[in-house]
Amino acid sequence: MTDPSGFLRHGHDSFEATFSASEREVLVNLSEQLLEILGERVDDLYTDPLAAMVGITGYNTPPDDDVLLRLLPNAYADQVDSAEFRRYTESGLREKKRISALAIRSHLLNSPSGEESKVVINHESAQAWLGGLNDIRLALGVRLNVEENSRDQLELLAPDDPMRGVYAVFNWLGWLQESLLLALMDDVED
Amino acid sequence: MVKTSEKVEELIDPLLFHDRPWVTIVWDDPVNLMTYVTYVFITLFGYSKERAHELMLQVHNEGKAVVSSGRREEMERDVQRLHEFGLWATLQRDDQ
Repeated sequence: MTDPSGFLRHGHDSFEATFSASEREVLVNLSEQLLEILGERVDDLYTDPLAAMVGITGYNTPPDDDVLLRLLPNAYADQVDSAEFRRYTESGLREKKRISALAIRSHLLNSPSGEESKVVINHESAQAWLGGLNDIRLALGVRLNVEENSRDQLELLAPDDPMRGVYAVFNWLGWLQESLLLALMDDVED
Repeated sequence: MVKTSEKVEELIDPLLFHDRPWVTIVWDDPVNLMTYVTYVFITLFGYSKERAHELMLQVHNEGKAVVSSGRREEMERDVQRLHEFGLWATLQRDDQ
């Protein structure tokens, strides 16, 4: 990690972070993976084209994939209510999350490349970053099975375990998100 | 065959519970940062830092907390926005 400070506030409406070339690449890749996960569902349910225009879909079952289910959770314990809610809201929720992932990707790709890239975002973009970083962490959390595995177990992963790298990235993104939160919290009155 | 008790409950349910409000519940999960959950409560609901922090701790320590209550449509909107932020939220009729 090149910059131990993460996001810092500069002035009223500006937040800056510096990324190393590899950090930039990892985060671009992760936002692209998130976009892919959030892409159209493959369960091939019929959606009325007219209904689709106003955001109503045929998706009335929870997604099969655990990651997608965490990103697009059920709103009710009751299956029938949940299905109805999903028909009317899932497409909008998915779109909102795609926009956040796209924002992270484009800010990084539009920052000057080199050994270090400086990303400068305003308050509105910071909200997209917060949400997008959180979605990526939620997705990684499902893959790492943080529900079952304790922090100690994850710390002790063998050096050749591919999940060890995933866990390192998961922690880094948590740290990055926290730095942005602290910078944003300056605005909040007690 | 329908058990009598169930049938009676079905009949009186709308009468008894018509006025009960709906509530939005946020559930604890092992990924969302405590600071983030607090920040979301402040920005979404306009809660004070102190109130938002209290609610976040309740989610963390008790596994869940009621974060808003009102009409069903309002709670559906709250849940939708909480899902946009990645919090694990559901709505239900208030059982208190």
